[in-house]
Amino acid sequence: MKYELLAVVGLLFCLIVIAFEYFLHYRLAEKQDEKEANTKRIDHRMKIRVEGILYAPTEVSRNSEIKKMAEDINDDYEIYEAAIKTIESVKERADEKQKESLSKLVDKINEEVNPVSIYATMLESNDVYHKGYAMRRLADLGAIEYKETIVEHLKSKNRDLAYNAAMSLAQFGDEENVAVFLKSIQNDRLYSGRIINEFFDEFKGDRACLAKLLFKDCNSYMRSSIIKALIPYKIEEFHKMYIENSVSKDFRLKVACVKAIATFGKLEDEQVLQMAAQDKEWVIRASAVRGLALINTPTALESVKKALRDKEWWVRQAAANSITQMDISPKDLEDILGGYDRYAADAIKGVLYKKLDSLQ
Amino acid sequence: MSFLNGVRAFIVVFNYFCMSFTILLSIIYIIQMVVSLIRVRKNYEKNFSDDFMRYEDSNNLLPISLIIPAYNEQENIVQNIRSLMKINYPSYEILVVNDGSTDKTRELVIDAFEMKPIETSIRYQIPTKQIRGVYFSQKYPNLLFVDKENGGKSDALNAGINISSYPLFTCLDADSRIEKDALLRLSIEFIKDSRTVVAGGIVRIANGSKIVDGELKGFTMPKKLVERFQIVEYYRSFLFGRVFWSATNSLLVVSGAFGLFRKQTVIDVGGYKQNTIGEDMEIVVRIHRYLRKKKIKYKVIFNELSICWTQGPMSMNDIRSQRRRWQIGLMDTLISHRVMTFNPYYGMVGMFSVPYNWIFELFGALIETIGYFLIPFSLIMGELNMFFFVMYFLLAVMLGVILSEGSLVLEQYTHRAAMSAKQSIAISIYAVLENFGYRQIISLFRLEGILKYRKLRKTWGKIKRKEFEQ
Repeated sequence: MKYELLAVVGLLFCLIVIAFEYFLHYRLAEKQDEKEANTKRIDHRMKIRVEGILYAPTEVSRNSEIKKMAEDINDDYEIYEAAIKTIESVKERADEKQKESLSKLVDKINEEVNPVSIYATMLESNDVYHKGYAMRRLADLGAIEYKETIVEHLKSKNRDLAYNAAMSLAQFGDEENVAVFLKSIQNDRLYSGRIINEFFDEFKGDRACLAKLLFKDCNSYMRSSIIKALIPYKIEEFHKMYIENSVSKDFRLKVACVKAIATFGKLEDEQVLQMAAQDKEWVIRASAVRGLALINTPTALESVKKALRDKEWWVRQAAANSITQMDISPKDLEDILGGYDRYAADAIKGVLYKKLDSLQ
Repeated sequence: MSFLNGVRAFIVVFNYFCMSFTILLSIIYIIQMVVSLIRVRKNYEKNFSDDFMRYEDSNNLLPISLIIPAYNEQENIVQNIRSLMKINYPSYEILVVNDGSTDKTRELVIDAFEMKPIETSIRYQIPTKQIRGVYFSQKYPNLLFVDKENGGKSDALNAGINISSYPLFTCLDADSRIEKDALLRLSIEFIKDSRTVVAGGIVRIANGSKIVDGELKGFTMPKKLVERFQIVEYYRSFLFGRVFWSATNSLLVVSGAFGLFRKQTVIDVGGYKQNTIGEDMEIVVRIHRYLRKKKIKYKVIFNELSICWTQGPMSMNDIRSQRRRWQIGLMDTLISHRVMTFNPYYGMVGMFSVPYNWIFELFGALIETIGYFLIPFSLIMGELNMFFFVMYFLLAVMLGVILSEGSLVLEQYTHRAAMSAKQSIAISIYAVLENFGYRQIISLFRLEGILKYRKLRKTWGKIKRKEFEQ
């Protein structure tokens, strides 16, 4: 009897769970329909408003349309974003002159709507994800007056919140606080490598200043990550440091520095790159070869040609790709095409085929 | 008399075994459901502040090679390539590998994209059948067409890996479509955590859905029952199973239709295994095995917001062929890596995930099917308590409904459901109906896969699928 009762109770419990699930499903489905209809309605309304503003015959009617749009937005971030999205999509199809007037239009709408207050309200919510989103948007809007509030979140135990706070500060170009955040994560290697790249990419201030602050007191992993992140910006004042560290015993640092030197393509660096091209590590040899191709002197060409016979495939590939950018004589070309390294020959052939194809 | 007593004793023991099996499976499913609910909810909310679209033009994303193995895909291939050209990703190349098609796949692609043969050197890091030629198009510089001798899907994928130039690659089925932002969402997993070696997305049944240029434009309920059942099945399998296994870093399968891999890891393990029909599962298990053995920290991730659409089979015959193939693939992989079973050396994968697949995914079909035949036999023998049987059956059905309906709730929660409220509620009826007939038939197909393992383990079979609505 006990088991039978247990079975019936179990069955009833399952029925209640199913009924609850169905109810929840129905409510969520209804909500989604409502949301979709609402989004469509907003999009439609915003399209009409944007058209009204764009084709308004007079400045007065344009301003009145903008006012109407502000009323529609009514401090709702979703409607505001829909309006901006509509303008952006019009912008994509517009010519340069129209693009300029559309950018001015966004500024006018922002004056009327005051989106900063919308996101400032969102920043006060208890949801960490909403807070994070609000901080990023405030930074997009250049709302520097909220910087101090954002700084408060920098030390949050919630990693997402701290990340978004630091990212917003990077958008403001606040090197000191960004440096504090980056130093706080320097021992987490799985996290900091990617974060450093993102931050240097997003940073709106003086990247060299930020890097100098970090170099003062960071571990070698972070130092090499920063150097790698700075490669695209070719910051001249670090060139000397790159040269000094190109013979470092720290492998990561050495690789980062040789890669950085290689992107400068300076004639004065040829000696350093020639040495790096002889290194026992293939990553360094491959980077050096790319740099030598940019220098493009007869001696650099000789080293790149030598690298075509390197024992490591990646170095041969780098050399073959690089040599196509150098001034090679018909004899060199013939040597490579008939040479023993098939990859080098095919790389040259590939480039020639593509060139020929574009001429036809 | 003693024989009859023996049979009776067997029935009683088997009945108790079945009951214990069901209870254990139910507990596992409930744990999976709870973990998945928490995780999906968290991911969905986190997605708001992650604002992944910021990465759209980022230089920090790793470039991706999209490899499409194609064997007699003349119906879909051009359309598929065109849709891939519209995906939202800063840097990618498309490699179409023609695996010795006997139809017009090769001619159609070459003509449609004005491709010309080029000389290129291939670094054979993984051995494959001979590559006959590589084609390039000036008009579409990120598209390469590779023409090779027939060697099977794994061979085509390996050839694609050899030719690819980027550090990440994804294998895509020629009859699937990925959503515009799917790659962006998936590749972010690789920059969020540098330990990530594999990331898989959710595969959804496209039957009834209108997908244009990687965007869902509408849904009409598919006409056939089997298609409707598959919609429920896919939600359950992906939103519960894979989310849970990913949370414990012991996910064994990343769908062959859509998965993103770190190329060097795949090369290190020797590429896709030839002569197997479960190459998508096998490669992931081998990666687990290799990295655990080398004591390298890694992650195999499932991202439920990254979507790939696939056309599900439309007839019972095609479903039979598909499920048989899946079961054979599963069995083949488990046998190849049997050393991992209950082996603490392989952590969660060896102690939990692999044994789960042996017991519940592989032999579950066998136990379930024996149960179906033993029930009437038990009734005849007078060994079955009718009340107990009815209760047991109802509980099993209800648990199935709870799980299926739960996955539909999750799908609805993430607001990415393809259907309207009415359609969504209508489809949930099939979460109940699938327990009366469909599930049992699927069990039979899976059992057939086990029984025909030796005979069919190298046969793919062709499934007829609907073309994507344009």
